[in-house]
Parts: sequence; C-alpha cells; structure tokens
Amino acid sequence: MAPFEPVLTRGLGRLDLTDLSVYEAQGGFGALRKALRDMTPEAVVNEVSASNLRGRGGAGFPTGRKWSFLPNDGRPRYLVCNCDEAEPGTFKDHMLLEQTPFQIIEGLVISAYAIRAERAFMYIRGEFLEGYRIFRRALETARERGYVGPRIAGSDFSLDIVVHRGAGAYICGEETAMLESIEGKRGEPRLKPPFPANAGLYGMPTVVNNVETLCCVPHIVERGAQWFSSIGPPKCPGPKIISVSGHVRKPGNYEVPMGIPAGQLIEEYAGGLEPGRRLKAIQPGGGSSAAIFEEDLDTGLDFDSLAAKGTMLGSGGFVVMDDRTCLVRAALTLVRFFEHESCGQCTPCREGGQWVARMVGRLEAGEGSNADLAILRTLNRTLTGTNLCPLGDSIMPFLSSVLRRFPEEFETHVTQAGCPLAAEQAVAAGAGA
Amino acid sequence: MSPERRRKAEELAARYPRRQSALIPFLQYCQEQDGFVTRQAIRDGAEMCGLTEAEVESIASFYTLLFRQSVGKHLIQVCRTLSCMLRGAGELQEHIRRRLGVRNGETTPDGLFTYEEVECLAACDRAPCLQHNLMFHYNVTPDEFDRLLETWRASRPAVSLPAE
Amino acid sequence: MTNGRRMVRLTIDGTSLEVPEGTLLVEAAKSIGVHIPVYCYHPKMDPAGLCRICLVEIEKMPKLQIACNTQVAEGMVVHTASSRVAEGRRGVLEFLLLNHPLDCPICDKGGECDLQDFTLTYGPGASRLTEPKLHKPKAVDLGPTIVLDEERCILCRRCTRFDNEITHERRLIVVERGHRSLIGTADGKPYTSYFSGNTTEICPVGALTSKAYRFRSRPWDLSHADSVCTQCSVGCNYRIDSRFGRIMRTYTRENPAVDDGWICDRGRYTFNYLYEPSRLRQPLIAVDGELKAATFDEAIALTAEKLGRAAQARRVGIIGGGRLSDEEAFALQLLARDVLGSDNIDYRASAQKYASPPRYEARLADIDDASLILIFGAVTPEQAPIADLRIRRAVARRHARLLFVGPFVPPAFVPSRHVPYAPGEIAPLMRALADVVHHGREEQGEGFVAEIAQALAQAEKIIAIHNGRDPQAVEALDALLDRLAQYDHPVGVLVVGAAGNARGAEAAGCVPNLGPGYAPLGRTGMTTARMLDAAARGEIDALFIAGANPALTFPDGALVRRALERVEFLAVSEQVMTETAAYADVVFAAASFAEKSGHVTNLEGRQQPFHQAVEPPVQVATDAQILAALAHALGKPWVISAEPAVLFSQLEKMQRPARTRSSRDPLPRPCVDDPVPVPDPASWPDGLTVIPIPHLYAGGGAAAHDPGLAPMRPQPFAVFHPQDAQQRGVADGTRVRLRGPGGEIEVQARTGDHVPPGSVLVLADMPEAPVNKLTNASGYGVACVDAATVTASQELSA
Repeated sequence: MAPFEPVLTRGLGRLDLTDLSVYEAQGGFGALRKALRDMTPEAVVNEVSASNLRGRGGAGFPTGRKWSFLPNDGRPRYLVCNCDEAEPGTFKDHMLLEQTPFQIIEGLVISAYAIRAERAFMYIRGEFLEGYRIFRRALETARERGYVGPRIAGSDFSLDIVVHRGAGAYICGEETAMLESIEGKRGEPRLKPPFPANAGLYGMPTVVNNVETLCCVPHIVERGAQWFSSIGPPKCPGPKIISVSGHVRKPGNYEVPMGIPAGQLIEEYAGGLEPGRRLKAIQPGGGSSAAIFEEDLDTGLDFDSLAAKGTMLGSGGFVVMDDRTCLVRAALTLVRFFEHESCGQCTPCREGGQWVARMVGRLEAGEGSNADLAILRTLNRTLTGTNLCPLGDSIMPFLSSVLRRFPEEFETHVTQAGCPLAAEQAVAAGAGA
Repeated sequence: MSPERRRKAEELAARYPRRQSALIPFLQYCQEQDGFVTRQAIRDGAEMCGLTEAEVESIASFYTLLFRQSVGKHLIQVCRTLSCMLRGAGELQEHIRRRLGVRNGETTPDGLFTYEEVECLAACDRAPCLQHNLMFHYNVTPDEFDRLLETWRASRPAVSLPAE
Repeated sequence: MTNGRRMVRLTIDGTSLEVPEGTLLVEAAKSIGVHIPVYCYHPKMDPAGLCRICLVEIEKMPKLQIACNTQVAEGMVVHTASSRVAEGRRGVLEFLLLNHPLDCPICDKGGECDLQDFTLTYGPGASRLTEPKLHKPKAVDLGPTIVLDEERCILCRRCTRFDNEITHERRLIVVERGHRSLIGTADGKPYTSYFSGNTTEICPVGALTSKAYRFRSRPWDLSHADSVCTQCSVGCNYRIDSRFGRIMRTYTRENPAVDDGWICDRGRYTFNYLYEPSRLRQPLIAVDGELKAATFDEAIALTAEKLGRAAQARRVGIIGGGRLSDEEAFALQLLARDVLGSDNIDYRASAQKYASPPRYEARLADIDDASLILIFGAVTPEQAPIADLRIRRAVARRHARLLFVGPFVPPAFVPSRHVPYAPGEIAPLMRALADVVHHGREEQGEGFVAEIAQALAQAEKIIAIHNGRDPQAVEALDALLDRLAQYDHPVGVLVVGAAGNARGAEAAGCVPNLGPGYAPLGRTGMTTARMLDAAARGEIDALFIAGANPALTFPDGALVRRALERVEFLAVSEQVMTETAAYADVVFAAASFAEKSGHVTNLEGRQQPFHQAVEPPVQVATDAQILAALAHALGKPWVISAEPAVLFSQLEKMQRPARTRSSRDPLPRPCVDDPVPVPDPASWPDGLTVIPIPHLYAGGGAAAHDPGLAPMRPQPFAVFHPQDAQQRGVADGTRVRLRGPGGEIEVQARTGDHVPPGSVLVLADMPEAPVNKLTNASGYGVACVDAATVTASQELSA
C-alpha cells in the first residue's frame, strides 16, 4: 500500500488556504465544477454511497444512505452543516473552519446539489467567533467568485448558504437540537420519529452533516469512490482526522487512514508519551466514549473495530492519559460536563447526570463511600439507553470503563479519603510547568 | 423597539426562511450593545418574532453565551474539561481565582473582569486554553496569564460579547 | 377498518389485539386494560417523550422504547411487565425521587399523586441517595390561583405544554436548562390564564396546587357529585368535591363533546361565595324600607298575596329563568301562565334576545373541523372560554380562519382577522353578504363585504357564533346561511348565552309568546322591556324576579331603575344580595346549583343533568320549592311540583316535538321589541359611543362576592383610543367619570389602539360602575368624560 497522503488537511500549516487563490491553486473547487458540469445529483449521491463514507460527527452513519432517505415530494429541502464541535477532546472541525473554510464551502455546495437542497445552513459553535468571522469572509469571497449564490459556476444550480452562530450549548451538536436552535428555539433534541429526513428544519426534509464529512465529499467527487474506499477498512474507509490531546508529546490533529492502530497513532504521529511515562487510559472517541487501555493499543481506529471493543470512534477526540492521571478526577470532568450540558428534558439524563456528578465529585474530594461505588457500578443499566437523545447515554461509558479496569483506584479514594496520586501529581505538575 | 434595532432585526430576519430563526442572532446583537440580554431586548425579540416575552425568556435562558446579567468588560472563560485538566487547567484556574479574587461566575468589584470556568473549547492540543471576550488564547500558563492580564488592563475596554 | 384507517395486529403481554394504524402503544395497551405508567404523556397533548416512565420492551429492538411515542406496527410484540421494563421504570422513579422532597404528609396531591402511586407499584423500596437533597424554590406564588413547588416538580412539562398547545397563551415556560430547569413566567409576572386551574389537575405531582384547595382536605375524605357548571352557557361538566357538607373544590369531568376535559377558572373557583356573610341564608322582607329577616312562610304569604292581587288586575310580571335549572324555568312559566294567568314572563334580563338559532343549529364539536369561524357580538374568550379553546385549536392546529366582525378587536391568542364594524351596522353587513353570495358575485362587495364573502364562499365548513342580541343581524345571517348552504358546505350557528341557562329558559317557555318546547301560543305577553316600561309608568303592580339581576344587566339602566323604584311590589329570589334584590320588598334566599339537582341546557341545546353536592343552609330553598310554595299559597297546589324529577317528566314531554322536528323546520322565534337605534355620539357634548365589553370575572352575583375570584376581578375600567384620551387629557391609569344622558359612572381610564376612535369600551356588569347607566335599550350608549374628574385625577397622580 502506498504511504498515506493527507487529503483533508493537505497544505494546512504550510499554505494559507483561507486565501481563495491559494485554495484554487491547490485544485480547490475543481470537484464543484466537475459535479455541477458533469454529474447529475443522483450520480453524486451514488458516488458518495459507493465510497462508503460514514459520518464523521460521531454516529458513523453512511452518508450516501442518509442522503437517499429524503422523500421526493416537492417540498423544499435543506442541508445543514454541523460545525458545533464541542465533544470533549475534539478540535478538528475548529481547525477546518479556521484554516480551510473553502473546502467546507465546496463540500456544502456539492452536497446541497446532490440532495437538491434549496438552502444550506452553516451552524457554527458560538464560541468559535474567530472561525465564524473567517468563514463569513470566505463565504463572501466564494459568493463573489460565483461558487455560491445564483447559477453556481455557470450551472443551473443555485444555493444560498446561511451562516448561523450558536449561543453556547453542547447539545445543539445533536442534529435535531441543532434544527431547533436554527429555528430560534431552545436547543432541545426532538422526539423521533419523525426523523429530519422527513420533517427536519421548518418541518422540511433535511440532512445534517458534519464539517469533516462534507470536506470528504469534494475529494470523493474528484478522485472517485474507489479511491476513497481503498483507504482503510472497506466498511468504513477514508481519511480521518483524529484530535490527539492529553499526555502525548505532540498533541494535535492528525489525518490518518481510517483503521490505524491506536498505538501507531500515538507513536508515529503524536510523538509518544513523555519519557518514563506509562499509558494508563485512552478515551478514543470524545467524552462520550468508553476508555481503552494498554492492552488495546493494536485496536484499529475505525467505527467497527472500536465498537467491537465496547467503545466508539465517535468524533475522533483521542485523549491520552498516562500514569500520572487520577481517573476519578478525569471521570469527574466528564460527568460534570454532561451534567452541565444536559438540556434537562428527560429524566435519567437530567436527574441521573446530576447524581453521578455529585457522587464522583464526592469521591474525588475524598468524601465518597463504598455505597457510592456500588451505586455507580449499577447506574449504567438505568442511565444508559433510556434517554431521549444520546447525551444521557454518554454519561456512564467512560466512568464505567475506568471503574471496571481500575477499581482499586476508586476504592483507594474511599479508603484513603483522597487521591493516592495527589502527591505524585503535584510533583508532575511542577515539572510540567 | 428603537429604529436602529428594528433595522437590525429586519436585516437579520431577512437571512432566514422564518423570522424566529433570527431571534438568537438578534439577542446576540442586543447583548453586544447592552452588555447583556436586557429585559428590553427580550421584549424586542418577542415583538420581532411574534412570540411572547415568556417564550423569549425561556429560549434565552437555555444558552450559556446569552447573559441575563451584566458581565465585566473582560470576560475570561477558562476550559475545565478533560484535556485541559490533564495539562494544568486546574492550576491555571486556581491562579486566576487568586489573582482576580473571584470565584467561578463572579465579576471583580471594579466590574472589569468576569471569570467563568467553561466546558471544552475545542482547542485541546494547546491546553490549557481560555477565551477572552471570545478570542482564544492557547497554552496559557499562570505566567502567561499574568502577562495577558496586564495587556487587558492596559487595553481600552472592549466589547465583551461580540455578536458577529 | 375504523374511520378508514387500516387495522394493525400486535401483541401486548401475550394478548393479541387489533387497533387502527397510528395508534400509540400507550393507548393500545389501555384499550386492553394494560396499564403503562405515564407522567409527561397526556392524551390531549402531543407526545413529548420526556419522563421516560413508559418504557416498554419491544421484541427485535435493542433498547427499551417509550410507549407514548411509539406507534403500533404489524406483528409488534410488546412486553410491559418484563424484568427489563421493571428495571427501567425503577430507574426512572429512582431518578425522579432523588431530590423530591417527599413531603407527602402535607402535600395536597397526596392520595391522588402519580409519583406516589407509581412508586408504590413500580418504584424502589428505599432511596440510595446519601447526600442532602438539592433545593429549589418552594411555595412560589405563580399567580392569583396557583402555588408552585419547584422541588416537587418532575419537569414533565404538562403545564407548559397545556399553556402552549391547549390555550395557546404561551406564558408558562421552562427557564434555565438541565437539572436547574424551573417552571416560570416571563420576569416572574403572575400566571393569569383563565384556564390556570387545569394545570393543577394535569400536574401529576403536587408541584402546582390550587390556592383555593391548598391544605384544605385529603382527596379520600371528599364526597363527589357530578354536576354541570352554570357560570356561562357552555355547560362544562364538572365534579363538585365536598367534605362535611362544604365544597372544597371542583374538578373536571371530561365530556369530549362539551368541555374536552377542561374547565375555566371562573367555573372552577366560583363556590366560596356560598360561605361568605353576604350569602343570603334566610328570606327577607322590607319593613319601613329596610330588609329584615323573615320566615319562609311569611315571605311566601306576602308574595302570594301581592302577586295574586296584581294578577287579578292583569298587572303582574315575571322576569327570570336564565340562572335557574330547566325544571325551575319551566316552573317559573307555570307560575306565570297556569297560576297567575299571565304571559308576562321573560327570561331576558340583558340585551340578549335569542338563545338559539332558528335553524342550522351547531354543536360545539362542529367548531373542531370548521374551516371558517365567523364571530360577531360574542366575545368568546370572556363569555365562553372553554368553547374558545376549541376555536383556538381549530385555528392554530387545523388552520381554520377566524373572522371577528364587530366594533373592537377582541383578545385573541391565535391569528384572527378583525373586520371593524360600528355598532348597529352588522345587520346591513349580513344583508349585503347574503346579497352578493346569492348572486355569486363574492368579489364585488364593497369594503369588507368582498373579503368576507369570498372567505365564506371558499370555506368548506362555516360556523357562525353570535350573542343573539341583534334580531335583524340574526335574520340576515339566516338568509346568508341559506345561500351558503346551497354550496353544499355545512354551516352551523352557536349562540352564546348571556346567562348560563339562557337556552334552557328559552326552551322551557320563559318568553312571552312561546310555551315550553317553543310551542307557539298564538298570543303574547309583555317582554322584559315592556314589563319594565309598564312598571315605570305604574301600569304593573307586582314583579317577581327569579335568578336575574336586571338592575345591572338590562341595557336601559335608567328604565330598569325607574321600574324597580316605582313598582308597588317586588319579590326577588337570589343567592346573594344583588342590585336588583336591593329594591325588593321580599327577597327569597335561593339554593345554588350545588345545592340542588336537575338539568341545564347549554348553548348548543344539550340538556345535561346535574346532581346535588351539598345541602343548602336550613332556611334556604330551591327555586322549585319557592315556586311550588307560591302556587300552593295561591290556591293551585297541583300546578307546580317542588320535585325536579316531576317537573322534568312534564317538561320533557313538552319539549319532545321541538327536539325531534325536521332540521328544515325553523324553530319559532321569541318575540322581540322594536329596535332602538344606537345613540348618536353627536347628540351629547363631546360624546363618545359607549361599547360595553364583557369580562370573565365581571358580574354582580356570585362573582362579586366570591373571595376566590377577588384577586382576578378587575376594577371597573374604560378603554379610550389614545387620540380620544389625549384630546380629553385622560392619562392611562387615572380615574375618570363618564357622564351620559342616563347617569354617570366612575372608572379607571386605559388607552388602547384596539378601540375605534370616537368610542369608549366600558367594562360591563360591574356593580361598582354599572355601564347600563350610560346605555339605552340598543345595548350601546353615549357619554363624555367629566372634565372635573380628569383634573382631579391628574392632581392625585401628581
């Protein structure tokens, strides 16, 4: 196999791809011209279906299939680009937004053409104000150059892209919550059915795609489904940006072929651990994913391999924790996150999330009890899988996985009334600073 | 509604197929003007979208970047989630709290600085990170924070919650 | 096939069943007696899927599913009692109980609380929570009727959804998010919906409690009586709950055809006046101009003597019936016709002339699928609130058009079109409409005629709603509907009654020219107006008024006051001291609806039974007993029975022909007086046209005396167009005196764009400021602002 060449991040850090001429010089908007000139919308959908592209936002649903669900009933259709990146440990869309906005625009236009959307919406996380400004500037330029707006690139296809800035709510990354938010409502996930394909934005057929997913589309159009599906495992192929953070020497976004083993990502891309440190746990797919451990380093980073390990690729937020890490504290930051971000609509997430956060907070503070641990060991049964949306189901996986793998660390927090690693951590923090 | 606001409301509403979609951008605009989402802004938003005040209040209270109370000229939001915590966010937070003499969510008595611990800001590779008036600062050590603080103190009071 | 829907076969807990496709699992289970617990789900509202208590196991689905938003599917196999389901429910209950205060011993809901009940059946035995419970605001004063306990609240959102989906008022909200979520209103403003009490019923826990019932009783100590509300003419079914013979609360008793399971706050909370000192507890007789306590026999003897003597001279009159039961209204006309030998009987104590349409009778449920709702005269949100909920639903959810024709813009919570027409111009408008529709020239009408005519011609089903006040308009409407019926689209009419049992009284024969069951008599007695006119001129010697308060409600206030002042003998039957009773020589203390049984007929003609809930005070008699005693004293004891059942069997026979007549045969019409023109504002210096406006909490009887309604009851007010107010130097909120040819009243001034220039809207039926001092028999009046009061109030406010 030929060495992997970055696709989505090609030139990043080297070239100023926020400059349209630079983007064009790299072949940018070639795919858009090709799609609009040489392909029917159905052909684009077929190509994307054939590529086996799976959604990069977290759920890994086949993009081509999602597109083909839209009913053909003459109602206006909408395409929404999900750039509400807020999954803990994930920062790829943030980078794509700020550094290669034209690639997103190109992906948006081609995808909108494919599903015959009459309008597209770019939902940008409220905190990404700088990215929002960059994107709006890029959109203006693209509009001036005829890549967006009426009769794009001389074709009959017209598309308006509305840029919508969020206002602070992780849950708006959930697709139906996002639609509510664009409609100017509380960002609360909708009850399904109906699904967005049938009744989405303003009740119309709607597709919501992640930024990275849309960025893949021009490349599939340009180089073909076969090329795309030859990268990585055939069932979930393609390039994938993994956001690596935590205890590695070179944290950052790394574009890798889907399916690369976790160990290889750490060693070959992220510079490995700091000298003398030992791996303790990895959260491979954002704050919602269960941890994997030392023994799992040969696990391929793709949707199916990680699912087989009881966790998920999710958004590709890959957080490495070495032996300095207090897993109780790590779990606390995450359960507190979900407590804070719960919309509060449904009972398990709202009440259970707050309960778990209080228990883990107590354990971390050295005030926990064995009863707390006993409860935490059972809660994944009633708190997971009982909620209206995935947020509530995300509270327990990491906590449960580390509690199962390192029970003694939690128990010691009870017996020693505090963190056994505290002393060492203080030293480490001193050294790190 | 003031004529200027009405103009802005119409401009924002024109971007969307339905008016209510412009509500949050409109509240962001009002917030930029007034420093927070005032009662008048709630009323104006309701008028703009044909909603009741109650509905607008419910919507506004959902979003953490819509503030119902006045915030300082400098809004400092420090990430507290896993990746930043692994790389010293805890120490940074303690430092800032001591340095400003405030707790999470509080504003300094001179009304200059509001300090808030927030969830993952999606800049985990440059942890710990913070936002100052929604502008990112990366790899912020306590020393780096002190340096930033001096520049903020020296700078003219800015817009703490820019809308666009 | 049911209603053309395909049937789906599925299995629930081993039982195979067939239900129409689209049925929700929770309803399918209910149909075979399988109970699935719910909190957020409510059959009248859209599924919300929030509480998660209704989790069930469906074969071939990996996760538990919620029964409230899962539609049945062919071959579906559902388990509602498996161990997985039990575990899921237990989990949800554990979460709900975590921070719940468990203050059941002092919670009003205790004993009828779904959180208690489901915990008993499905919940964990003990709490595993070891930390202190989180606290939220308690005893929040949500408004005049409701207290909210945020700690008890399980955030099922039934209340906010009710306020959004059912009332469309959108004032009750969830604020904040996550576990910090609270139920609230904008800026903590009071929650003042006319329907607020329903939230206390649909609240599955004790979070929303009614101020009227708080800490008053345990539900298991309550006795229940099925009754019908008579506060307006909709006739909502409700239950009266009492303890030790005292009414504690009223509760909905769903009748889908009438109330759809809701009651308004006027109906719900009007009962505590019965326990106020102002409640009449014994008969009174005027001695030297002062009413003094008397025995029932004394009151009967005196009244019988006076009525008997006046009857012999053919100088007697009887007014009332609209606030009596059907049986009693029937008995009242028996007193007039069969005891006193007079046709001078009329229930019409207000400006209302008709309580029923002659043809095209609609049912309330006809509103549901109407495509056009045309309202004139009636102000349904104030006068028929529960019917207005149907209108709101038809407009908001089924895209009916709502056209309101009249002089001012009424309150509306759903989109409506207001067609401004001055008082007295509605009949010509209806005639013009009938004309263009008849000739198929809908687009050619002048002004609004074209717009309305086209809407009418396009509508698939038309419901017209009016207040029966303008006979010419009603006649023109009838002609218009005749034309429209030719389009083969259903048309129907509802007449909102001025009194709760107006239609029952009309149908029982309380009109001068018709006997019970609309039987034409071929002769006619005097209408209310003619009786009052005769009394004022000394041509009637004795008046008997039962369950009516014309001194406040009759439009020509000057006439009614002159008449009641002048008439030699006046007997009044009432529950509380009213403006009319104050003129009386004899006052009978009458039982309330809660204290008797019988039937009432609502605005759609539905005759509904109601049952006695509590005993009246010892010296209080039902109107049937009073009328029977009078007949007895007048020497005709066999004519009027005191027993509702006897009266009803007589009445029913007489009403049967009208009920079973062909729908093409018009009902005979009650006779009406010659029309009186609307006063010309130019006839009075600086005059404004006075337009009385109704209000849910106005009225001179129970409403004026009920402490439960007091916080909601408005002060008398008048609304001016801002321009008129400015010209007269009237500022918002000041007190002004309105002076007209017939008298003057003092009101609080308000301004509003919805007022037509040159007019002033004045709150009607307020004893503190009776608008009928300003109006004539047309129902409208003329008045100016007394300049002296304006300066005075400005000084006050300065």
